[in-house]
Amino acid sequence: MVGFFDTYGFLIVSMVIGAMLGLSLYLPLMAGQLSLASPGFYALGGYIAAILSTQVFSATQELFPVPFLLLEMLVAGVVCGILGVIVGIPALRLRGIYLAIATIAFVEILRVVSLNLEITGGAVGIFGIPQPFQTAIEYLWIAIPLLLVSMFFLYRLEKIRVGRAFAAIREDELAADAMAINPTYYKVLAFTLGAILAGMVGAISAHFLNTWNARQGTFDASIIYLTFVLIGGSRSFIGPVLGGMIFTALPEVLRAIADTAGLPTVLAQFFRDGRLIIFGLLIVIGTIFFPQGLVTPELLKERGIRSWMKR
Amino acid sequence: MDEEVDLKNNDPILEAQQLTRRFGGLVAVNNVSFTVNKNEIFGLIGPNGAGKTTLFNLITGLVQPSGGKLLYCSKEIIKLRPHQIASQGIARTFQNIRLFGELTAIENIIVARHIHINSNVFTGVLGLPPAPKEEQNNKQKALELLNLVGLSNRATEKAHNLPYGDQRRLEIARALALEPQLLLLDEPAAGMNPNEKQNLSKFIRQITTDFDLTTILIEHHVPLVMGLCDRIAVLDFGQLIALGQPEKVRSDPAVIAAYLGVG
Ligand SMILES: Nc1ncnc2c1ncn2[C@@H]1O[C@H](COP(=O)(O)OP(=O)(O)OP(=O)(O)O)[C@@H](O)[C@H]1O
Ligand SMILES: [Mg+2]
Repeated sequence: MVGFFDTYGFLIVSMVIGAMLGLSLYLPLMAGQLSLASPGFYALGGYIAAILSTQVFSATQELFPVPFLLLEMLVAGVVCGILGVIVGIPALRLRGIYLAIATIAFVEILRVVSLNLEITGGAVGIFGIPQPFQTAIEYLWIAIPLLLVSMFFLYRLEKIRVGRAFAAIREDELAADAMAINPTYYKVLAFTLGAILAGMVGAISAHFLNTWNARQGTFDASIIYLTFVLIGGSRSFIGPVLGGMIFTALPEVLRAIADTAGLPTVLAQFFRDGRLIIFGLLIVIGTIFFPQGLVTPELLKERGIRSWMKR
Repeated sequence: MDEEVDLKNNDPILEAQQLTRRFGGLVAVNNVSFTVNKNEIFGLIGPNGAGKTTLFNLITGLVQPSGGKLLYCSKEIIKLRPHQIASQGIARTFQNIRLFGELTAIENIIVARHIHINSNVFTGVLGLPPAPKEEQNNKQKALELLNLVGLSNRATEKAHNLPYGDQRRLEIARALALEPQLLLLDEPAAGMNPNEKQNLSKFIRQITTDFDLTTILIEHHVPLVMGLCDRIAVLDFGQLIALGQPEKVRSDPAVIAAYLGVG
């Protein structure tokens, strides 16, 4: 068992982080807004944690105190929440693909800024972020509760006034407006909730990855998170959670396949480096054949999961 | 158009003053003024493209006027956003049905009770008071409305899977869920057979009384409008060409000309 965790600890924690990043993209999507801003907030959250833990908190212990990490997550969540409101109000005036493009631009801007600032370590980034745990797998102590809280939050959200307002705006923004629902308010709220989650996850990730640099919030990441949601399922929070886990593990699986003896070199190379190509293909194929993703509310209902959850 | 003696107590709920809306060179609503009284059933008729729906869009804030004033309960509402106007008590249905298709019938109604719930993200998510009680109440109210429009056995059906007539009824129920004072119905009888139209007519009269509403109704079927409405306004090419009680409007030469395409 110990051997298993040594080998796969890093992957397992990454999968949990992937699930939460999927959820951070799913939140604005609940209100029908295709935002690809999550990697930007994720990167920002990570920088906040990296800077605080390396420059502000002077922990002398061998292990970085967990309460400090929690505090960093809080700060990251608050800062990303505020930035979410500031960015969301103008950006969410844009619709559909234009919003997606604007949020990609936002991610790029943050990336370029972080490349050029001193405090973020420029192109090199920030190194030697202190470790609160001895092994990778122990990060689950932080990651799993956050995932569970997020899932509970979304599970409840879908059943209450705010979640219904999101759904109404997703279905028909104009009709929702005519039913006394303020579309701007709820779109910004959905966007901001996603930003907060992405920021908190970034704070965990910075410690987990030990270094943080401008490669963390990129356009590639936007596409990958989008795959989590589109293929996993965009109509139930279970979709992005499963999608995030599966697609975080997929590159590892591909790598394993690539290492199979006797595979033609070209193919092996493709499995190893063609991750984005494969993700892109999956998005195309997935949206054609499973427009709602693999996990749909109907599927959950069929399997009785819904009725089981309702109890 | 001569000033008539109003049989009802003259208690205006909605006043349009020189309301105008242009789309490029086209004047969809042209200098229209009228008053709708409280508890009235007010008909709005006119040929295709006369500007009836545009007038509804102006009242509900979906379209901004190029000029003129619009007073609801003596307050100017032109600057308000659609959701603000709706929360002041003006609800509507759409000519081309706009339900929340992927939501179930009952969810469509509960959504429209938005302003009658106070719980926010935190009380809602954590199920703290008053959220659970409010949710319970809401569901109850929604069921009553579904029952009222005869859809209680289709509560969990997705809206876009309902037959056309049921969708129209559901849209009315959704509008009522707002608990409005002013209800705007854009061609609610479209696609119904004479028998259904008859029932709808009775239904509109019933809800107007039971919910203490004022109803403005766009309808092409003239007999229905004549039989149901207290007063009727006639639009033609954006202009108000007649306004008054049904008998008067029916015999108005300008109206006859507009409908026969003369003049
Ligand atoms: N958003 C818009 N942009 C441009 N033109 C518009 C717009 N909305 C309405 N119009 C035009 O304004 C005129 C009035 O349209 P409106 O929909 O109000 O008519 P209507 O009386 O409701 O007709 P119908 O009986 O066919 O529903 C039409 O010529 C229409 O093409
Ligand atoms: Mg119309």
